[in-house]
Amino acid sequence: MNIVVVKMAIPVGQGLFPIGDDLSSIILNILWVVFFFSMILLFNQRLQIWTYQRNVEKATVKLQMLADKSREEALKSVQKYAQENTDVRSQVTAFLDFFTIEPVDRDPFGVLNRLEHLLDNRRDRFKAFVAQIAPKAGKAEAANTEDILEAAMALNFIFKVVRHFLILGKKTKSLMIFVQLDMQLPLIMKMAEAYFNAQKTFSAGKPIGDGLGPLVASKLMYGLPKRVIAEDIVCSETNISNRKAYVLKAEGPGGLLGKPGEAVKRLVEEMGGKVARIFMVDASSKLEGENTGEVVEGVGAAIGDPGPEKYKIEEVATKYKIPLDAIVCKMDLEEALTTMKKEIVEASDVIIEKIKKAIAERTKEGDVVIIAGIGNTIGIGQ
Amino acid sequence: MQRERQPKFAMISILLTVGAFILFVLATIVDSLSDYSNVLMVAGLALLAASWGIYFIGGRSLQRAEVATENVITVIGCKGCDIREERPFSEGDYVFKEIGPCKKCSGTSYIRAIYAISIKKD
Repeated sequence: MNIVVVKMAIPVGQGLFPIGDDLSSIILNILWVVFFFSMILLFNQRLQIWTYQRNVEKATVKLQMLADKSREEALKSVQKYAQENTDVRSQVTAFLDFFTIEPVDRDPFGVLNRLEHLLDNRRDRFKAFVAQIAPKAGKAEAANTEDILEAAMALNFIFKVVRHFLILGKKTKSLMIFVQLDMQLPLIMKMAEAYFNAQKTFSAGKPIGDGLGPLVASKLMYGLPKRVIAEDIVCSETNISNRKAYVLKAEGPGGLLGKPGEAVKRLVEEMGGKVARIFMVDASSKLEGENTGEVVEGVGAAIGDPGPEKYKIEEVATKYKIPLDAIVCKMDLEEALTTMKKEIVEASDVIIEKIKKAIAERTKEGDVVIIAGIGNTIGIGQ
Repeated sequence: MQRERQPKFAMISILLTVGAFILFVLATIVDSLSDYSNVLMVAGLALLAASWGIYFIGGRSLQRAEVATENVITVIGCKGCDIREERPFSEGDYVFKEIGPCKKCSGTSYIRAIYAISIKKD
């Protein structure tokens, strides 16, 4: 019945876009114009908001799932070393919102000392929390548990920030909030997935890509006597081409980074600045198109800390005019945080050869050099 | 969100959109088809709807299809000889962990390396 009515309204032989001066043609054309302009002018932005919002909502659901799963993984890891009657769930859940306030930098004088102090406070609080909640964990297990909690905290934070902007966008109906969020989502999701996969690696205690520096140092110091030179950093003395080489790394196999800057500073000061060169080995983020495991040389302090450790190395090297050589291995964020790839293990041998060659070419016999393997030493002993 | 779409879904979506456009043009311009213009318009809209649906279904990331799993290998060596063995990683393994006497020379066996090999599943 309806079809008949429509058929009568449309002039036969002229379709939905009639051309003519009869009343029905004019009305139909006006209706089309009104419909077209209402879609363009009134609903265009709504449609765009709806499309972007839908993408952000889907990503937020996925992020929530990752954050929930990582919290459960953290609980499972902690419970292995917890006392029986401890309420692990509520304590861990509350700790996931732990935060650190960056020092004021309007007056930059001494900002790195203040930052180091805050980072020390943060590390102490982490250690104390793990010691309290997982008293049965040994040194390595406690360090790994700290890393697991860090990953869970990162995922929790990412989820909360994305959810915040989603709700803000809905409240303000702002297209720009959704567009900006939507454009950044591929990178945000990549980062979240990297942390999620990293947590599984930390739970198993496997070496990660970022452990390249400690792996190189371990290969050079394996079997030699070791001494603790700074917080969580061990050092060995070896001979390379008749040069005295001090090799240092974080103490494994727990997931520790230590204070390599402090260690380098102490070593240089111990020797009164008589160090011919400092070699630093670290993982470096690769650009798209570069190959994982590619070894590149340069100069400078190859260390990715927030600032204090890098500053100490640069400061002591500048004070005594010691050249700083950097050797890095390329990898992306996910490769740095997840189980070490075969290409990266193979790169460690290439780096050792490069160090030996550089020592032979750029120093004299009897010189002293420092080789610092920078990174998280989880799953790597010495 | 910008995602990688599977090429075949993208192609089908584009073809359906082109088909819908052709139907709209036919319904509007060709006089001999004007009796069927309503049918053509509805068919065109249906194609557009199908194209839109396929565009979003195809938009589900390729990552879902390419879930990468990893095979973690522990390489065992010896301080006294050149023996090399590989076995799957087991919890508690770490690089340079000493794991007892060597099968070949009764020297000290240790873990030389631990690494992952990615296996992509479709």
